[in-house]
Amino acid sequence: MMTAVLEKQATKDNIILGMKKAMSEYDIAALTKKEGKVLFDYIDDVNKIELEYTPTVLSPKKFFFPQEEVILEYTMEGKVQAKINYRKMVLFGVRPCDITGIQILDEAFAESNGDPNYLTKRENSVIIGIDCNSVCDENAFCYKVNSQYPDGGFDIMLHDLGNSYAMTIATDKGETFAEQYFDSGKVDSEAMEEFLRVKEHAFVKAGGPFEELENLPEIFAENEHHPIWESEAERCLSCGSCIMVCPTCYCFDVIDELALSMKIGDRLRRWDACMLRSFAEVAGGENFREEVKNRVKHRINRKFNFLMKKHGKSVCVGCGRCVRSCLADISPVTIVEALTKTSKQMRLAEKNNELYLPVKAFIRKIVQFTEKEKFFELELENGKSLNHQPGQFILLSIFGIGEAAISISSPPSFGNRFDIVVRAVGDVTNKLHTLEEGDFVFIRGPFGHGFDESIQRKMEGKHILFIAGGIGYVPLRSLINFTLKQKEDYGRISILYGCKSPEDRMYKDELDYISTIGGNVTLLETVDTADKSWLKNTGVITSLIPMVKFHPENTLAVVCGPPVMYKFVIKTLNDQGLSNENIYVSLERRMKCGVGKCGHCQLDDIYVCQEGPVFRFSDIEDKEEAL
Amino acid sequence: MSKPKVAFFDFTSCEGCQLSILNLETELLELLDIVDIVEFREAMSEKSDTFDIAVIEGSYSRDSDLGRLKEIRETAGVVVALGACAHIGGLNALRNSQQREDLLKKVYPDHPDWYETNEKALPISAAIKVDAVVPGCPVDVKEFVHVVKNLVLGKDPGLPTYPVCVECKLNENICVYELGKTCLGPVVRAGCNAVCTSNGGVCIGCRGLIPNPNLNSQKDIMQKYGLDIQRIIDSVNLFMTENAREVQ
Ligand SMILES: Cc1cc2nc3c(=O)[nH]c(=O)nc-3n(C[C@H](O)[C@H](O)[C@H](O)COP(=O)(O)OP(=O)(O)OC[C@H]3O[C@@H](n4cnc5c(N)ncnc54)[C@H](O)[C@@H]3O)c2cc1C
Ligand code: SF4
Ligand code: SF4
Ligand code: SF4
Ligand code: SF4
Ligand code: SF4
Ligand code: FES
Repeated sequence: MMTAVLEKQATKDNIILGMKKAMSEYDIAALTKKEGKVLFDYIDDVNKIELEYTPTVLSPKKFFFPQEEVILEYTMEGKVQAKINYRKMVLFGVRPCDITGIQILDEAFAESNGDPNYLTKRENSVIIGIDCNSVCDENAFCYKVNSQYPDGGFDIMLHDLGNSYAMTIATDKGETFAEQYFDSGKVDSEAMEEFLRVKEHAFVKAGGPFEELENLPEIFAENEHHPIWESEAERCLSCGSCIMVCPTCYCFDVIDELALSMKIGDRLRRWDACMLRSFAEVAGGENFREEVKNRVKHRINRKFNFLMKKHGKSVCVGCGRCVRSCLADISPVTIVEALTKTSKQMRLAEKNNELYLPVKAFIRKIVQFTEKEKFFELELENGKSLNHQPGQFILLSIFGIGEAAISISSPPSFGNRFDIVVRAVGDVTNKLHTLEEGDFVFIRGPFGHGFDESIQRKMEGKHILFIAGGIGYVPLRSLINFTLKQKEDYGRISILYGCKSPEDRMYKDELDYISTIGGNVTLLETVDTADKSWLKNTGVITSLIPMVKFHPENTLAVVCGPPVMYKFVIKTLNDQGLSNENIYVSLERRMKCGVGKCGHCQLDDIYVCQEGPVFRFSDIEDKEEAL
Repeated sequence: MSKPKVAFFDFTSCEGCQLSILNLETELLELLDIVDIVEFREAMSEKSDTFDIAVIEGSYSRDSDLGRLKEIRETAGVVVALGACAHIGGLNALRNSQQREDLLKKVYPDHPDWYETNEKALPISAAIKVDAVVPGCPVDVKEFVHVVKNLVLGKDPGLPTYPVCVECKLNENICVYELGKTCLGPVVRAGCNAVCTSNGGVCIGCRGLIPNPNLNSQKDIMQKYGLDIQRIIDSVNLFMTENAREVQ
């Protein structure tokens, strides 16, 4: 469906005027108000278009797949004729979730036996969407299933830039329409970028996608007997509301209606619902889905399992309509999250069977950072993502030599590659330094407690002060890159980095790049000793702290470096008014098992490999062995 | 082929349902193309002893009703219960939760003994087998025509087994619960095209319960929306007296 994407721009007045002109050729359906409610309906006056969105009871699928439609007309003498009712129409102001819904219906109705009634209506329609850049209400969850970024299902998408709309034109049909009815010019690309930035921010802030969105079919298959099916079914009224309002439900019933004359009749189709008791009933009253539990299961599985496999994406578009209309408070979100949690626990238990079993990883790239330190990019052979939090570590094995704990220095990502930096200090690390690109090692993990979501949430809006010494930059780098990626979520980001000499700096190119970012990002560096070519500071790391102005109540410090560094850094921070509640440290301990068993890493009653290496300093400040 | 004969009978009721059918002039005339109406006290005077389809309005509330009902059953091929009274006892059944003697004195203080009435007003299915139902108070005349037509065609006149919410949503209504009212729609049989909720009202259940209603959940929901248990019972009691106890 997508042809080359074209970007244009027109004023809002001009767009509305264009719709008025289009009325001579098209019926226009748009968001409008009628008897106190907002709904998608045909309009006779463009002034009745509502540009601001209020969630509607029914989705615009009703224009292409109406509640009831005649598909055949027949006479009792045996004449029969297919019936397709359509109007040449523009559907104006559809939101991203519903567009994704239409895209799914397009696929569903087009596959194998193309449905002429649906497809004819679609062919005769132009779809003009209006993009969202905030979440429409507390029940909407498009961002959990990524439907807020449709990659098809529309001809033109409008993005609100204040007095005008930027247009993404996705099809030839859209291009022709825009040319004929809108006076469009070049896009103000800066304003457009700002729009997209605000949009991304709003949906990330709302919580981002389901934790294991891509794995949902698998997770649903694993949880066929989950207790949540029972507990939700107990409340379910089998009222069918959830299905009636869903933009991606498309089951129907076929009914013969004979006129009273008994001579002519219609065959019609009417929306049906798998949540209704009679849906799977066959002759003799036998019902394949008698139990409410099985109906709830079927409905939700269609969205996240059966059809998700077929369409390659969640078939629930998160419009929130079923959540709004369910009096029994049954929501796909609750179910997906409960199943995901259970699957994760199951996997953890499975993993525990293989607690000490490492997996193979290939070395894809090596960079010599300093005389003793090398960068390695590793790729898991099993194709899976490491799925780590910033601050976590792995245990790296070289058989015949042993295992070593190594921090993951790349930010969390979806791919199966990740980075480490290793200092050659002994058996394992020295051996690693002799390996080459294409060689393999084994790894276990990720292990430990990193900068998890609750810490990440605490960081939002704050001034983040990263303080790293020497190789301590490596464990912090994952989090630093993670925060730089969405820097507008933080008040300021200050990175203080100290090394023995300029030659000891890790990730030199990246540091040079960070120093050019500007805005709310500052990088301050110091070295103990240097020659004249070093233009930045010299002195110990604590000397950088007074150079950053921060408000203690609104600042969060994250510290990692050699053992001696912590005491001095924390004292200086305390002197500046920062309390230990607002200081996080990543600690290094001798580790062997990495899984809370061998006891090597113990800090009093704490296993650093489990509860750490990242700690809020106030949680461990009174432990003698802490620093 | 001769047209099937349809006869109308009334028991305890307000006869509102028969009136509704008479109002359906054009359709009624067309209906006469496919059936003969032989006994219809509201509209015709001659009576007939033979008929194929008996349409019975009103509830079974007197002992003397029983013999008449049995006679109708024996004569008719098909018995249709017309309206809430015949279908579920209707408003007449409201009294079922009270003592008959007290009630008679309350309603007819001067001559309580002049009136014959049973302990309870019951659906006619309590006396005889019923083949088809046209629910509602009053009935939806279109549905009546639909049922008769299907019976003539030899098709099962099957009623919707789904609740009013389905039709309410198809009409794109904002649920009355969101407007601070309560509604029995989730447990009441559809077929009325959600006429009440689509016109500013709420569903009070005149078409009776769906098969397998989740009354527990319905009660919890009404409670959550602020009704105390007595008011929930009262609202179910109106048309579904027998089920009000289940809610308790
Ligand atoms: C959570 C955590 C994260 C780490 N991240 C990194 C990293 O990203 N990059 C990196 O180069 N190093 C990191 N280390 C340190 C690394 O684990 C050790 O340098 C490594 O285990 C040494 O193993 P080896 O076989 O090469 O040395 P060995 O031959 O076993 O010992 C050589 C010397 O290193 C000391 N040592 C041995 N094991 C450890 C250990 N686990 N921790 C500290 N000192 C040890 C020994 O006492 C000895 O002095 C980290 C350690 C921890 C606990
Ligand atoms: S659910 Fe998301 S995409 Fe849909 S209208 Fe609401 S914010 Fe927009
Ligand atoms: S809307 Fe809620 S109560 Fe009604 S069928 Fe759907 S899940 Fe069940
Ligand atoms: S399942 Fe619910 S939230 Fe998902 S698309 Fe359907 S109505 Fe919207
Ligand atoms: S108004 Fe009544 S019938 Fe309509 S959806 Fe709400 S509960 Fe159901
Ligand atoms: S909405 Fe309820 S009360 Fe109204 S006619 Fe239908 S079943 Fe009867
Ligand atoms: S490393 Fe074994 S208990 Fe922590």
